[in-house]
Order: sequence, then C-alpha cells, then structure tokens
Amino acid sequence: MGIMRRILIVAEDAFARDVIRLSLAGLGAEVRCTTDCEGMRTLCRREAFDLVIVLQAASFLCGGNPVREVRPAGLRHPAVYVLSWQQAEQTVLSLLESGVDQYMTFPVNLQRLRRKVSDELGGRV
Amino acid sequence: MIEQFYIVYTLCAAVLACGFSVGVVGAAVRERRRTGRDARLRTEYLHTLMLALGGDGTQVPYFPLFGRFGSRRLLCEAVAGVVAITYGLNDGLLRRIVAHYRLDRRMLRQARRCRGYRRAQALAVLACLPADESVAAAVAPYLRSRNRYVRFHALAVQLSVDPSHALQRIGDYAYPLSASEVAELMALLRRGILPLAYGPLLETRSLNLRRVGLAIVRQFGIEEAEGRLLQFVADTAHPALGREALYALCSLRRSLLRREVAVFITEMDARERRALLRCMALEGYAPTTMQRLFEEAERPYYETLVQSYKRSLA
Repeated sequence: MGIMRRILIVAEDAFARDVIRLSLAGLGAEVRCTTDCEGMRTLCRREAFDLVIVLQAASFLCGGNPVREVRPAGLRHPAVYVLSWQQAEQTVLSLLESGVDQYMTFPVNLQRLRRKVSDELGGRV
Repeated sequence: MIEQFYIVYTLCAAVLACGFSVGVVGAAVRERRRTGRDARLRTEYLHTLMLALGGDGTQVPYFPLFGRFGSRRLLCEAVAGVVAITYGLNDGLLRRIVAHYRLDRRMLRQARRCRGYRRAQALAVLACLPADESVAAAVAPYLRSRNRYVRFHALAVQLSVDPSHALQRIGDYAYPLSASEVAELMALLRRGILPLAYGPLLETRSLNLRRVGLAIVRQFGIEEAEGRLLQFVADTAHPALGREALYALCSLRRSLLRREVAVFITEMDARERRALLRCMALEGYAPTTMQRLFEEAERPYYETLVQSYKRSLA
C-alpha cells in the first residue's frame, strides 16, 4: 500500500480553491486547504506536506518569502506551486528565484496541472 | 388629557421601535440563512460540475434543487467561474449544460431587466458561458451603452461567442479600450480566443487593435517589434498610443537613448514623466540613461526610487 501524499492549497478565494481541490480529486492524495499564509505556516509546522499550491502571488510580493517559511533550510521539500494572474516576466522570475518550483498563470489548464501534480507526487514515492 | 396623549404617543413609539427592530433582526436572520443556503448550493453545483468535467463528459449532470429561487444564478456563476479561471475544458459538455438548463437565456433576461453595473455583471457572467450566435446578436445594443462596463462586457460576450471575428469586432468597437480592458482581452488570448499574431494588429488603422498588439508585444517580449514601437512613439497624432509604445519599449528593456523617445519625453507632463520614471526604475534602467533623458530636477526622484526597496514595487 502506497504512502498517502499530502497537498496543501492556500487561497483566499474560496471558489478558486474549491476548483483546484476538486480538480485534484482521485490522485490518491489528502488535500487540505487554508485561506492565508498564516494558516499555511501553522499547518506546515504541524504536518509534513508533499506539495503546497498557493493561489496568490501577493504573499510573495510584500517582502515575505513563504517558501522559506514552509521549507526547512537546505531542503527541496515540500514542492511549492504558485498559481496567479500575475504575468510580468520580472514577477515570475522573482517567484522562481525565491524557490517556487512551478509557476502557472491563470487561466490554467486543469488537466495540465493535474498531470504536473501527479508527476510531482509520483517522483516522491 | 396631555398626560394621556403622552402615554399613548410613547406606547405607539415603543411599539413601532420594537416592530422595526424585530423586522430588522428577522431580515438579517433570513439573509444569513439565504447566504448559507446559497453557499452550500454553490459548492454542491461546483462539485457536480467538476465531477462531470472530470468524467467521460457524455451526460448532462443533474443539479439538485435546480429551479428554486436563486438556483439558476448560482449555477450560472459556478459555470462562469470555472470557465473564467481555466481553459481546455470539455467545451461540448459545457455547451450542453448551458443549453439544457437555459443558462444563457437566464443571464440575457437578467441583463435586460437590470441597469448599470448589475447589467454589466450579468454580461460578464454571460461572456464566460459557451453560447450561440443569437446571444451575440442579443447583446449588440449594449455596445452603445453609456456605461463603459456594460459596453465592454457586451463586446466580451461577442468575442467569446464568435472568436473567428474577434479582431473585426474589436476594430469596430467605437470606444477606446482602457488598460484594464486590454488586460481582460489578454486573458481571452491566453484562453485561445484571440490570435497571437501581433504584426497585423500593429499595422492596422484601428487604435484599439494597435493597443491589443502592443499588449501582446509587452506580454510576450517580442523584441522584433522595436522599430514599429519607435514609429508609434514618433507619431504625434496619437500621443496615448505613443505612451503605451514607450512603456512597451521599457518592458522589452530596449535602449531609450533614441531621438524619438527624447522628443516624446519632453512633451510629457510632470505626472506622466514620473510614471515613466517609476516604470524605468522597475525595469532596471541605469541612472545614466535617465540622466540623458530627464532634467536635473527629476534625477533625485529616480535615484531615491532605485536605492529604496520601492524599486521592486514601483
């Protein structure tokens, strides 16, 4: 029996959060949700997630670095995906430089996202 | 006699106040219940819709409690919400759902009944629903609305219904597109509704199409368009377009030490020059470039911006 993977979705927008959560159904992973970075920090301290999907770039643009807060120093775990409407090259580069593993711009292709998440979780088995 | 009058008056006032309070509390409770019920139903509809989209996509799903007051609106919003943030969904199934539950007709009716921003909101939802040609014709009168949001969302409906004539419709749009409206059109482009070819857009006579072309150049960093951008900057007939072309040059991080750019900057007012300085700081232009284009008095602003943390926020 495989190990149950854990995914955390961080989004203020309940609708977008539900859409992403439902699109990841059937991957054999436990999906948890929270509304903000504070909740993300709390949950990440309490549990070990394999993937964190953040649906807003704003938390990265106000001086903080959520990736450093959820990922212990020197580790590449958990993987962090950011989905946002921001499309400026500089913003995307800044996010990737801050340690984000994958950046996707809205509107997103749910099948593509699901495939990437599946590969990400599969690679960790 | 006077005392009795005061007593009756006080009693009436007290009864009225109590009645009013009970009414307000009752309305608040009813509203809270309705909001809670709507939230549950919206989640249920979204769940059903996502299950259907994730399945084989042959059968129109059954949405529980459909037909109850407000349920059509919730289903419209659920479908439109999913379409707005995704692409590559099962378009055939979405069309069948919209046709089966007559969601497009419902939103059209709401657009007819409402005025102002509510009409614009109804059209915005309608723009995300897969609809047929008759819907595009039905929203045509709204293209001449005094409310710019209504006008633009009517255009968005027509673009989503008939993407093959998208450029023609944008070209025929009689009002200048704002920056946010162009950004909305770019979202349509990312969903595959608009073509990506920027060349014909920049060569056209329609200012709106040129704006869309400039937005494509900026978004995709098309450096080959530099010559055309400089022509826009030099064209004094359309200063607004020249300004957008200048910002596009900044986004591409091309050299601004050109005669066309220097002439254009001298004709800008103080507010526009500051905005351009912020854009240049954001794109990382060296202070020496700025010094050759701007006056002595404007340099400290740029240098402060470059040296401060605001550079990455400007």
